[in-house]
Amino acid sequence: MNEQLIFHLDVNSAYLSWEAAYRLQHGSKIDLREIPSAVGGDPASRHGIILAKSTPAKKFNIKTGETLFSARQKCPNLVIVPPNYQLYMKCSNALLDVLKEYSPKIQRFSVDECFMDMTHTAKLWGDPLRLAYQIKERIKKELGFTVSIGISTCKLLAKMASDLKKPDGVTTLFHEEIAEKMWPLPVENLFMVGPATKKKLSSYGIHTIGQLAQANPDFLAKRLKSHGILIWNYANGRENSPVRSTAIAIKGIGNSTTTPFDVDNWREVKMVLLSLVETIGSRLRQGGWAAGLVAVSFKTSTFESFSHQGKLSTPADCTNEIYQKACELLSECWYGQPLRHLGVRVGELCTNDFIQLSLLNWDREKLSRLDKTVDALRTKYGSKVIVRSSFLHSGIKPLTGGIIEDYPLMSSIL
Amino acid sequence: MKILMRPIEIIAWFTSEGVPRPLKFRISSNGSTSVVKVDKIIFKTEEKIAGNKMLVFRCQSLIEGRLRDFELKYECATCRWFLYKM
Repeated sequence: MNEQLIFHLDVNSAYLSWEAAYRLQHGSKIDLREIPSAVGGDPASRHGIILAKSTPAKKFNIKTGETLFSARQKCPNLVIVPPNYQLYMKCSNALLDVLKEYSPKIQRFSVDECFMDMTHTAKLWGDPLRLAYQIKERIKKELGFTVSIGISTCKLLAKMASDLKKPDGVTTLFHEEIAEKMWPLPVENLFMVGPATKKKLSSYGIHTIGQLAQANPDFLAKRLKSHGILIWNYANGRENSPVRSTAIAIKGIGNSTTTPFDVDNWREVKMVLLSLVETIGSRLRQGGWAAGLVAVSFKTSTFESFSHQGKLSTPADCTNEIYQKACELLSECWYGQPLRHLGVRVGELCTNDFIQLSLLNWDREKLSRLDKTVDALRTKYGSKVIVRSSFLHSGIKPLTGGIIEDYPLMSSIL
Repeated sequence: MKILMRPIEIIAWFTSEGVPRPLKFRISSNGSTSVVKVDKIIFKTEEKIAGNKMLVFRCQSLIEGRLRDFELKYECATCRWFLYKM
């Protein structure tokens, strides 16, 4: 058999299950998974959105992404717990440690999803279906949470398969089963088909994955370009990317934030930009990169989005330089409307070990030494040890962006 | 046995292989503190629920004239001990 054999593991209601398991281990008498409960929000400010929900909570029609306020209206007894990203990283790592015992090629697709390359392991572990059940039960017993496993010959089908039986299930989705198991599903269930694509496909009369699979590829190419061909191939189960155990090289770094209040004056906007650039700067220097391109984006309080980008004369990794550029870019396109969301992104990355000195860059060496010192202090004592004085008593956080270091967010690249 | 999960102060000894063994612990309840000496360790297991490694010790001691079984838990990451069940 030259074909691959891929498993896809998906932790059921990850944030909630992990919190539930942790609490049970610490003597809680209630299992959060058995009552209407959800993970979300910031307990201090009582704002926030639902990040994960339990099965009983689904019965109250609570949706991931809705505000805690509206969730509480649907279910007044809802137990809401704050997110704990350190715990989630620990759980994700523990899961990976178990999986590494079965295959050397594991791809952590997101904090709660993994691909395992099980090609040619039949001689080692026997029947793959039986092995999948073994792994599932082991994780349930040892780690205390349930997973759904999908089995197929490519990552796309394995990922679609794991969705079919939730929670605590194992499903196969080989090519010969596509028509029976995958084609009847609504087209938005297909990986890479989001609300925008779904709307377009609906207008062409394509409502199920099967209809998409049988549509004319030239028609899709004309209307949806390469994305159309991609999803057409996916609907037919054609996908062959390998299970990647190393990450793809990054092309850019960005941070953005939604402010808790509308920002409409330069002083505050500049502070938010600075706090975003502080995080970006430290991420850049940590990766050994310098950036040649800076982009700012913002969303007004009426949800209109704008973005503007510009190149730096020479690639830089210095917080001050990127900040100056970001302010310059924003001043070119912002007319003072109240803003709710601001973002800064840097691109055109290159290594920072050789940085050209330019006549126009004041004291670049001094600033670079300052940046390095601040980075070292923050790594050793935490990010709050030293902050820019303009943030004192301002109500704006001195560093914004990111969750915790190296937190694996889901990607759209399989 | 009832689940308590009360944090306790404890004296334990560690073997040269790094395996802890509880000796005696002090627990405060309703304002008064009592010291319990661990007479026998019946078994020790390891659990890794939610990726959090904890050692579980099932112990037996003579407490106020009665032979009682209880479970102590040691959370490796935080180095904390708890009276889990009694």
